[in-house]
Amino acid sequence: MIAAAHVAGMDDITMLPVTDGTIALLNLRAQIDGLEPDVRRGHASIESRIGLIELITLRGLILGHIADYERAEEIAEQLVREAATDGTAVVARARSRAVFHRFTAALDDLDRAERLSLDAEITNRERAAIFQALGRYDEALAIREEAAGRRASFENVAALIGLYAERGEIDAAERMYADSCRRYRGVSPFPLALLDFQLGLMWMNTGRLDDARRLFDAARRRVPAYAPAQGHLAEVEAELGDIESAVARLYSLAVSSDDPDYAAQLARILGETGRAHESRHWCRFAAARYDELVACHPEAFADHAAEFWLAAGANPEKALRLARMNVEVRKTPRAYGLLAQAVAALEEKA
Amino acid sequence: MSDHISGPRAIADPVTDITDVFAFPSPESPRHLVLIMNVFPYAGPSACFSDAVTYRLRVRSVSIALDKRAFAVGAEELSFDCTFDVPAGADSGGQPVQQGRCTMPNGAIVPFRVNDENGAETEGLHVFAGQRSDPFFLDGPMAAQTLATRQLAFKQVGSDRLYGKNVLAIVLTMEWATVLKGGPMFAVVCETLTSGKRPIRLERVGRPEIKNISLGAKIFDPVNRDLEIRDLYNNEDAFNLSEHYVGAYRARLNANLAFYDGLDGKTDWPLDDHGNHPLTELLLADYLVVDASKPFCETSYLEIEQAMLEKREHSTCGGRWLNEDVVDFILTLYVNAGNGPRIRDGVDGPISWSSKVCPYMAPPNRPEVA
Repeated sequence: MIAAAHVAGMDDITMLPVTDGTIALLNLRAQIDGLEPDVRRGHASIESRIGLIELITLRGLILGHIADYERAEEIAEQLVREAATDGTAVVARARSRAVFHRFTAALDDLDRAERLSLDAEITNRERAAIFQALGRYDEALAIREEAAGRRASFENVAALIGLYAERGEIDAAERMYADSCRRYRGVSPFPLALLDFQLGLMWMNTGRLDDARRLFDAARRRVPAYAPAQGHLAEVEAELGDIESAVARLYSLAVSSDDPDYAAQLARILGETGRAHESRHWCRFAAARYDELVACHPEAFADHAAEFWLAAGANPEKALRLARMNVEVRKTPRAYGLLAQAVAALEEKA
Repeated sequence: MSDHISGPRAIADPVTDITDVFAFPSPESPRHLVLIMNVFPYAGPSACFSDAVTYRLRVRSVSIALDKRAFAVGAEELSFDCTFDVPAGADSGGQPVQQGRCTMPNGAIVPFRVNDENGAETEGLHVFAGQRSDPFFLDGPMAAQTLATRQLAFKQVGSDRLYGKNVLAIVLTMEWATVLKGGPMFAVVCETLTSGKRPIRLERVGRPEIKNISLGAKIFDPVNRDLEIRDLYNNEDAFNLSEHYVGAYRARLNANLAFYDGLDGKTDWPLDDHGNHPLTELLLADYLVVDASKPFCETSYLEIEQAMLEKREHSTCGGRWLNEDVVDFILTLYVNAGNGPRIRDGVDGPISWSSKVCPYMAPPNRPEVA
C-alpha cells in the first residue's frame, strides 16, 4: 500500500526534482506582479488576463486567500464584459463562478462558450469539475475517463484520481497516484502538492488518519505555505491527539488567512481542550467572518458556516438553515450528511 | 516575443522559460566574449531562479563547412551550468537573497549571489545573475494581427507589450581564448533542464523568434495543422536533431517562411523543387554563431550566416547584441530578403537601452504601485 509505505515521489529516484515551495510561491507572486499592472491599465491581452485570473486563483487556493478568489472573479467579469464573444474569456468566468459554487451560472457560461465555438475538450474539462462538485459523479467520471483515455497527461490523470478519491474508490486512486507522480514532467511543486492533498482527503474521509496525516504532510513539505494542507493536517493531528501541533498550525493559519475555517477549527479544538477563553475569541472571529462571507457568497460558504455553527458556534438553528441552503446548491453525500447532522443537533437541543 | 512564452510548457512554468540568448565580443575588452541567457518573462520583483533547474549555456567551436552553405560544428562541447539555492532571508529591500554557482567546463565553480551588481569572478570567467530590464522589444499584437489578416499589420508607431518588464538574466563574461577551446567562431545554445540524476531538457534557445514567429503559426502547415510543435522542438538537442521529427519542423518552417515571403506580393525566396525554403536548413541549425576574434558590433545578427549563404567572408562578429532591433531585421529578411524597404514593427527600442559596461543589461524597472 503506497500510503503505508512512503509517500510516492518524496524518495523515489525516478521522480524529477521540483522547485522548492518557497521559491514557487515567490515566483507565483512575481508572475502576478508582472501581469497585474497591464491588466489594471487595460493594456493586457485576453490571454494575459486569463493567465492572471488563473494565477490569482491558484494563489488563493494555496494560501487560503478568499480575497484572491474575489479579485479573480472581478477580473473575469470585466473580461467577459469587454470580450463577450471570446470563448476562452467566458470559460475563465465559468471557472471563477465555480470557485464560489455558482454552479448553474458556471454551467451556463460553458454552454455559451461552446456556442462561441470553443473546443469541447476545454469546456468538458471544466464541466467535469462542476459535476464533481455537484455530486453528479457518473457524469464527471464519463468525461474524466474519456479525457484520460484520449490523452493520459498528468493533468487528466490527476483529475481522474481526484474524482476516484472523492468517490471513495480507494484502490483506483491509489493505483494511479504513484504512477501519476512519476509521469509528472514539470518543475512546479503545485500540481503534486494538490494531488497529495486529494489523497489525504480521501484517507481522512475514510477514517485512515495516519495515512491522511502522511499525505497532508507530504503536500505541506512540497509547499510549506499550502494552507488547506496545513489546516487538514492540523485537524488530523488533533484527532490523533497531537493537540499542541494542531493548535500551533491553526494559530498561524487563522492569522494569515481570511478563510474563517482555520479560526473555526482552532476555536473547536481549544474549546475541547479546556482553553475556553481563547476558544471564545476565535469563535467570535470566525462567526463574524462567516456572516460576512455567507452574505456575499452564500453558495460557497453555507456548508463551512453550517459546520461551524454545529461545532464551536453552537447555533444549530443557524446551522440547519445553512445546511438546507447548501443541499439546494449541491446534492452530494457530504451535503446530505451535514443536513442530517444539523437536524439531529436541533432535535437534541430541543 | 523573442522566445518568451514559447510553448505550453514554458507558459506553465516561466522560471524555465528562456526569453532570449545573446552572444557578443565584450565592448570593453576584445579578449572577452559575453554570453547572456534570460529567463522568466514578466518577472515581478520577487522572482527567483528555480533550485530544481539547471540553466545551461552550451558552446561548441564551429567553422564554415566545405560546401560553404552550412556550419560544421565541433564535437567537443563546453557547457556552463548555473544552479541556484533556495533563498535564505531577505535583503534590506525585502527581496529574497539567493545564492548560485556556475560550474565551468573545467569543473571549477564560481559561487555568486543573485542581484549582486559586482557579480563574481574566477579563472577568467565573470558571472552576474539577477533581475534586469527585458531588452527585447516587439509589437506583439500587430505580429499576431499580421498572421490573422495575412497582411502586414504593423503601424508606424507600434506598442511594445514588454515595455517596462523585467527578466532574470545570467551574464557570463569570459576570456574566451583560455576558457573555451577551439574557435574563434562559436555556436551558442542555452537550455533549461531539470536538475538531478536524470536531467530532462525543458527548453532550448539559439536564435530569437524561431519558436514564435517562425514555427508558431499552425495554419499554413500542410502536414500538421493541429500540432503545437514548440514543446517537441524545445525537447531536442540543438546540435543533434532527431530524424524522427525534423521533417515536421521542416514542413512548418517551409510553410511559415513562404507565408512571410508572400506578404509583399512578390517572391524573394523561391522554394526549391522539393518545396524547401532557402532559409529552412539554416534556421534548423538553431544556435547563435559568434566570431570572438572580431570586434564588437552593434548590428551584426545573422551576418555570418548571410555571408555563408552568399559564399563570402563575414565581416562582423555576428552573434547578437542586446540593443539590436532583430525583429525589424527578421521581418525584412523573411518578407523581402533585403530586396525592398526595411519592414518595421514600429517599436524601435526598449524602455532602457543596454550599456557597454558589464553586466550590460539595464537595471530592473521599478514595480508599478497599485
